Amino acid sequence: MAVQLPRTNKSGFYEIRMESVGGLGANVAGKILGEAGVLAMGLNGANFASYGAEKKGTPVKSFVRFCAPDQQVRTASPVEFPHLLAILHESLIRAGIAQEGITHDTTVVVNSTHPAEKIRQDLGMCGGALGVIDASGIAAAEKSRANMVMLGAMTRASGFLDQQAIRDAVSENLGHKYPKLLQGNLRALDRGFSELELQQFSCDLEHPDQPLRRAGPPIGYENGPMGGTIVNPGNTMEKDLSAARMGRIPLYDHDKCINCGKCEYTCPDFCYTFTDGTDHKGRRGRIFAGIDYRYCKGCLRCVEACPTEALTAGDDNEEYVAEHTTSQMKAGS
Amino acid sequence: MGIQTGNVKIGAKTATQKTDFKSGNEMAALAAKQIYYHLMGFYPITPSTEIAETIDAMYAEGQHHIKMIPAEGEHSAAGICYGASTAGGRVLNATSAQGLLYSLEQLPVQSGTRFPMVLNIVTRSINGPLDIRGDHSDLMFMLNTGWIILMARDPQAAYDMNIMAPRIGEHEDVRLPVAIAMDGFFTSHQKRRVEYFEKDEDVRAFVGPYRELQSAVTPERPLTIGPYMNDPDLINSKYQLHLAMEAAREVIPRVFAEFAELSGRSYPLVDSYRMEDAQSALFILNSAAETAREAVDGFREKGEAVGIVSPNVLRPFPVAGIQENLRAVSSLLIAERADCYGGNGGNLSFEVKAALHDLPENKTRCLTRIYGLGGRDFYVEDAEELLEQAVRARDEGEADGLKSFDYHGVTPGDPQLDLEPREEPIPEAESALGLIEVKVDPETGRLKVKTPGVREMTRIPRRIAPGHGACPGCGIFPNLNQFFKGIEGHVVVLFQTGCGMVVTTAYPYSSHRVTYIHNLFQNGGATLSGVVEMYRERQRRGEIPSEQQITFVMVSGDGGMDIGMGSALGAALRDHGMIIVEYDNEGYMNTGNQLSYSTPLGTRTTTSGIGPAEKGKSFQHKDMPQIMAATDIKYVATSVEGFGRDLVVKAAKAQWYANRGHLAYVKLLSVCPLSWRSKENLGTKVMRAAVDCNFFPLYEIEQGFTTINYDPETRKKKAALADWLNMMPRSRHMTTPEYAEEYRSLEDEVERRWQRLKARAESDRL
Repeated sequence: MAVQLPRTNKSGFYEIRMESVGGLGANVAGKILGEAGVLAMGLNGANFASYGAEKKGTPVKSFVRFCAPDQQVRTASPVEFPHLLAILHESLIRAGIAQEGITHDTTVVVNSTHPAEKIRQDLGMCGGALGVIDASGIAAAEKSRANMVMLGAMTRASGFLDQQAIRDAVSENLGHKYPKLLQGNLRALDRGFSELELQQFSCDLEHPDQPLRRAGPPIGYENGPMGGTIVNPGNTMEKDLSAARMGRIPLYDHDKCINCGKCEYTCPDFCYTFTDGTDHKGRRGRIFAGIDYRYCKGCLRCVEACPTEALTAGDDNEEYVAEHTTSQMKAGS
Repeated sequence: MGIQTGNVKIGAKTATQKTDFKSGNEMAALAAKQIYYHLMGFYPITPSTEIAETIDAMYAEGQHHIKMIPAEGEHSAAGICYGASTAGGRVLNATSAQGLLYSLEQLPVQSGTRFPMVLNIVTRSINGPLDIRGDHSDLMFMLNTGWIILMARDPQAAYDMNIMAPRIGEHEDVRLPVAIAMDGFFTSHQKRRVEYFEKDEDVRAFVGPYRELQSAVTPERPLTIGPYMNDPDLINSKYQLHLAMEAAREVIPRVFAEFAELSGRSYPLVDSYRMEDAQSALFILNSAAETAREAVDGFREKGEAVGIVSPNVLRPFPVAGIQENLRAVSSLLIAERADCYGGNGGNLSFEVKAALHDLPENKTRCLTRIYGLGGRDFYVEDAEELLEQAVRARDEGEADGLKSFDYHGVTPGDPQLDLEPREEPIPEAESALGLIEVKVDPETGRLKVKTPGVREMTRIPRRIAPGHGACPGCGIFPNLNQFFKGIEGHVVVLFQTGCGMVVTTAYPYSSHRVTYIHNLFQNGGATLSGVVEMYRERQRRGEIPSEQQITFVMVSGDGGMDIGMGSALGAALRDHGMIIVEYDNEGYMNTGNQLSYSTPLGTRTTTSGIGPAEKGKSFQHKDMPQIMAATDIKYVATSVEGFGRDLVVKAAKAQWYANRGHLAYVKLLSVCPLSWRSKENLGTKVMRAAVDCNFFPLYEIEQGFTTINYDPETRKKKAALADWLNMMPRSRHMTTPEYAEEYRSLEDEVERRWQRLKARAESDRL
């Protein structure tokens, strides 16, 4: 006997979307959800992810859809209006990606340490249920990953996913590959389930349903250069990659810097600039001119390369970054 | 053929099946394991790679013994498969897009000389520009190859068609290779509820043993396979192939019916949905046909008599089934995920129209819409729009604005958008600062380079802009940044397919501040040869000022130097004025860490697993610098980022030779924290460890003379191979007792190459 889905769209599906960045394990979480629903809870369903090249740190979406066991899954297209939306990486909200397609019928679970009311404002959420949980913190404490905590929280938030079935699917998927980590993963899962607090917001007119942008790209067949040529050299400079950064950043101490250039030499993301100037001792030459944190992915190779302690590792911090970024774009941005 | 609804359960199942939740790729791999193919020749290409990976994972666990051969490119993979099929066993391959096109010339030989095998085509858009997502532009190239083509619309069908394919192709009246096409990503990577036979024996009993009718390995019956055959004979041989295809028309439904008995899943040649009284229909292939059913249900609710026709077999084309389903339909929209440019239809439009034309009384009005190119998603709303047009076509035509051929889902773009370059190109004055001094040593005739310190070199403008999408801690970009510090003046770069290319040019963004070309995975050597020689010829003709100087640099990963080895060697043997830079991260990291020929022995990758039956990569790493040196080019060097100014000096020497009309090759070891699983911040240390254990010696071969630039022994830095391997979790198993033999073998090879290198460095003849 299959569990009853609490609500479905007009095609008969209960749909789940996870918003994450490559490397956080949203893909695995989606697989576990799908397996538990279909193999242990008697539902029919599908699971897939948004695919690109195999890169860590790029935004990724994972999708699960469930339907009654006797219904065929016939659509292969992405989940646009999720019943359950899990946001594994908070800065995806700032980037405006995560909240697409939130309706008054969406339950949202967010990995964050911020209060729910702030998250609701950031999401522009019209109403419905929102749960905020410090998945990264719990994961660190339990030697697990945020995806496990979020999986537990999503189970709880869904109102119908069977906790034991999810536990079994976690053991099945991770127990064989990483036996030593299984207990920690299960603890993280359980804590996600038990520590999530869902808040109900009533619908207000200030926050309508979040629109969905299925619009085509701004460069199309009328204005696009022929053959797909890009005529704007080096325009990745216009990007801001900080939304996908995980955890750490280099902190700079001007007093300890000897302007050796080793940070610029080793940085894979070309965040460092040097310019002509005068150093501490009044000598003319190349001097450190700043870090453009928009490109920094937090690898900390620069901290390793730094011969003094001018560069040290610190926690990613929005305010620090905003204050200390030196833009490399000539026109500024 | 009656009008049927596709793959519904019928009859009693006679074999036990298990329910699972798996993707199309996983199901194809499972079928292969259960069939127990003799051999698989393959080369990784998205989105089909996972088939070989999954089969390898089962191999490592000792679940089967299919001989897995990772070729150095798809042309060779197809060649391996052909050779293996002539030797009398069952053979499998899987590929996509460029991989299919690169193997294309092999395919008519496979069918023409009548050796059955099975090829999974996980469909994907073909270049260029490069797109890794799913459409049918690759599949359309299959139509004329003489292969049977089965369509797999969902993961269940991917399994079922794979089980049935050998039975069809190996039938004595057929003896043809079979391709199975599933939609890249939509089917290959989407997990669905599926059923499979619990016992491998049931599958093997259904498929039966392989029957060799002709074999290259029966000395008691010598055969000449593939003779030289002109007119008047070839036409007769091809007529036999035609007859075999006709025989397949009879064989396929029989195999499908027998499979239905066993599995309870029935496949008609032509799948139809709600066509009983349909006045308008959509003809559409594979996964999109499933999505379109949702739209048809909606139309039916509104009282519109519409339906879907979708073939399960493309070759032989099921003409009778198409005619039967469509003869009474007033209007038909043929939706195709590939265009036959200039043909006023996709290929299948012609075939469907031709089938209908053969019905003298038929008056069906046909439209063609090209949709979903490059993997553009196909939503229910798209199907609704197409159905809407199909309905309109009953009594509207071109005069009413309803085009008979058009694209669906294209975007004109925003006319307000400013596409003008925002950053200035690098002025020559800024990139040619004269900071690097290259001189010929009058004593040796070889080069001497003076560079400023690291600090002063921050003055040299970066040829690559920030904002690229590489993983955190990627070694490619410090390598390229330091390399380009040694290059003064104008630069034109060519990247072969790989991480470096994908992360710098994701449309509409480019990280390249200088002109950049991407052609294909494997022929950068040839392509840049053409660029260089055109440039020189135009200079000779006075079309480009003769005093202008551009340095041409080809950048490739180690993958590109596997599949593109021949092209690079060709360019080297012709000695064009260019530099080839290889960043070697010891694997196909862009497609998710499959082994490359540069991967060290014993290393765990997704196509060289570790387990009770497999011990990582089974052969030694390729020594590409020595291979390049054997072409007798003027300059070969190895280097790594973070090793002082070593790399800058070598770049400067390479440029000196390139700009005097000679090819120079520089190989850079490049850390891949994602796949080596080493710490992101420790790239430089990992590189140093590789150098200190002599796995990756720093040396150069200039005008035939070998110089070791850094000798860990004399510097008292010599480290054990284990020190390096232990820094990378992908290799840690190599230092456990279980892998003692593999470790020793790798260590011996490293030592042998080091001693050979030292002997060469000490000699002025070697």
